[in-house]
Amino acid sequence: MIEELRQRLRGLERPPGLEDGPAALPLGADAVDRALGGGLMRGALHEIAALGEAHAAAATGFVAGVAARAAAHLVWIAEDMAALESGAPYGLGLDGFGLAPERLVTVAVAQRRDLLWAMEEALRCRAVACVVGEMRHGALDAVAVRRLSLAAADTGALALILRAMPGDDASTAATRWIVGAASAEGDAPRVMAQLVRNRRGPRGQWILEWSDSDGRFTLAAHAQPVAAPPVHRPHRQIARSVA
Amino acid sequence: MLTAVDDAAARLGLHAGLALTQARAMHPALDTVPEDTNADAQLLEDIADWCLRYTPLVACDAPDGLLLDITGCAHLYGGEKTLVADLAARLTRAGLACSIAVAGSIGAAYAAARYGAAWSHANGEERKLLSPLPLAALRLEGSTVASLARVGLKQVGDIIDLPRAPLTARFGAAVMRQLDRALALEDEPLTPRLPVAPYVAEQRFPEPIAREEDVLLVTERLADRLKLALERRGDGARRIELTLFRTDGAVRRIAAGTSRPVRDPGEIRALFTERLAALSDALDPGFGFDMARLSVLIAEASAPEQIGIGGGDELKEMNRLVDRLSARLGGQRVRRLVAQDSHQPEIASIAVPAQATGTDGGWAAFRRYRNDVELAPRPLRLLARPEPIETVAEVPDGPPLRFRWRRALHEVILADGPERIEGAWWSEHGGPARDYFRVEDRTGLRFWLFRAGLYRDLAPGGSAPAWFVHGMFA
Repeated sequence: MIEELRQRLRGLERPPGLEDGPAALPLGADAVDRALGGGLMRGALHEIAALGEAHAAAATGFVAGVAARAAAHLVWIAEDMAALESGAPYGLGLDGFGLAPERLVTVAVAQRRDLLWAMEEALRCRAVACVVGEMRHGALDAVAVRRLSLAAADTGALALILRAMPGDDASTAATRWIVGAASAEGDAPRVMAQLVRNRRGPRGQWILEWSDSDGRFTLAAHAQPVAAPPVHRPHRQIARSVA
Repeated sequence: MLTAVDDAAARLGLHAGLALTQARAMHPALDTVPEDTNADAQLLEDIADWCLRYTPLVACDAPDGLLLDITGCAHLYGGEKTLVADLAARLTRAGLACSIAVAGSIGAAYAAARYGAAWSHANGEERKLLSPLPLAALRLEGSTVASLARVGLKQVGDIIDLPRAPLTARFGAAVMRQLDRALALEDEPLTPRLPVAPYVAEQRFPEPIAREEDVLLVTERLADRLKLALERRGDGARRIELTLFRTDGAVRRIAAGTSRPVRDPGEIRALFTERLAALSDALDPGFGFDMARLSVLIAEASAPEQIGIGGGDELKEMNRLVDRLSARLGGQRVRRLVAQDSHQPEIASIAVPAQATGTDGGWAAFRRYRNDVELAPRPLRLLARPEPIETVAEVPDGPPLRFRWRRALHEVILADGPERIEGAWWSEHGGPARDYFRVEDRTGLRFWLFRAGLYRDLAPGGSAPAWFVHGMFA
């Protein structure tokens, strides 16, 4: 009897979704979670890139879904240029996504250095379950990725980098995604998610639909697996033609 | 024209007001510097800042005077005499000529400092002090002094006992008012240059400190002293300022804000750690700081701390993070989203500084409203301002068939709408009504577009309503 009460007490004392929470955050779609080995690893850095500038909202949708599932407090740090180019995350839209805006703190930073500093600072805060860092062009150096990964591992928070387009750098993030828009038949947000790096399993490509009533991703019912659209990388072409 | 002369020049018979050519004729080797009133005013303000080491009540008496209210401060220096000696010595060392007087009223101190009377006067001695001084010492306008002189009134003593009514009738009320003020019969408030902080702690160092760690350590110690005072009155600090006095007279003021009343010295130290790290120019201690002051500029009642109830800790951690981020990046950059009771999409959700808001933000009310009216979906990203697009659309109120935005052509395959959102017709700046559409293009990109204005409102011959893209859906 007393032991049982003690156990319940221990359960109450544990901050929700933190240190002792499940190490992986399932996205909800079984096929994806299997490939990920249970879900997105907490306490690690994940990189989500939009297929191209126009797909920023799709990538944002993927991130918002993950963040909504992570629950608890969320810090969204964006470079000024990102907000200027692709708009800022909109409260009413986030709320429609099931991501309660009252749990969100937004931070605007002028430069990459501040972005990385703020992310690390937020990751080290025990109350924060998920930190999103939105950046535009340019590479993310390996030292920064390492620092952020370590900070995330310390608290078990989820670190997400949201990029305006896929980077060329071989980042050491736990997973890397390229997310683009996908045709939807209804109101539900739908994205095409390519898993291009996965340290713990196979890569893959899925069309995911966000269901805000259940707060989870599902595989789109009638979606055909699509071939990866060519990623537009003009500077590479130029480099080749020069060579 | 000469506007000011130093002692050496004065000994040569030069004086302010002399034409430059004449002065040059008298002394060809004369060294002159063009007058720079802005720099003079700046110097006066810098000295005023530096004088904060003596009292928080410092006012500028432009163009060349400073007023210090040292009531209750003199004993910290061992009396008025030592305070004045210290002030004079430091100013002289800085290369500034000064004339200092202490008196019971602003007027008397002014007169004594500028018209060469003894440096100190006890309360009630104003009459004796002022009587032999010229009338200009009363801070009267030049024309008044001149017209008083015309009737033979030249010294303060000449008017001090005259019947008041005729004087007032002839020379205006200012004469009597200034006299009363100088005699301390009428109260004259001193308007300090900076607001006076409700809580202040300061520390002087016999040996100047220069290292950042030392500054932070001192900050924590001062915060520890403030903590007692804050606790006694149940207050916490919302805005704190650290003032550092450099040995060479420069003064550095660094302020930090908090999201809720704070009095924990460790937290205050952490705030200033971030502020110091964020300074664009380094702290630059020069030869070191010889005094530090920590002032609580804004204090707020702080609820007694609740211990050990779940959830509270998390919120506190979150507030701490917000404070750290705000201290480093600026309070305007760290925000929370707040829902507002408005149909206008730009206003319905806005971002406000996180330190200024609570944690609810009106979202519960918004959710009730959304469920009641079954609000159409809203985009995930909203552009800072709607961007114009070229469209081909069905007239009068159909969705666009294709549109061009940022040089890319989008072929619309699905459209949902219109959702009409009225402009703020009650306001002068309210735009026209908008018809919003959710559209999807061939590649699956989804946009929130609107037409500004309706065809039915179109003036004959006017141009067709413009289209804009306002947001993007996932």
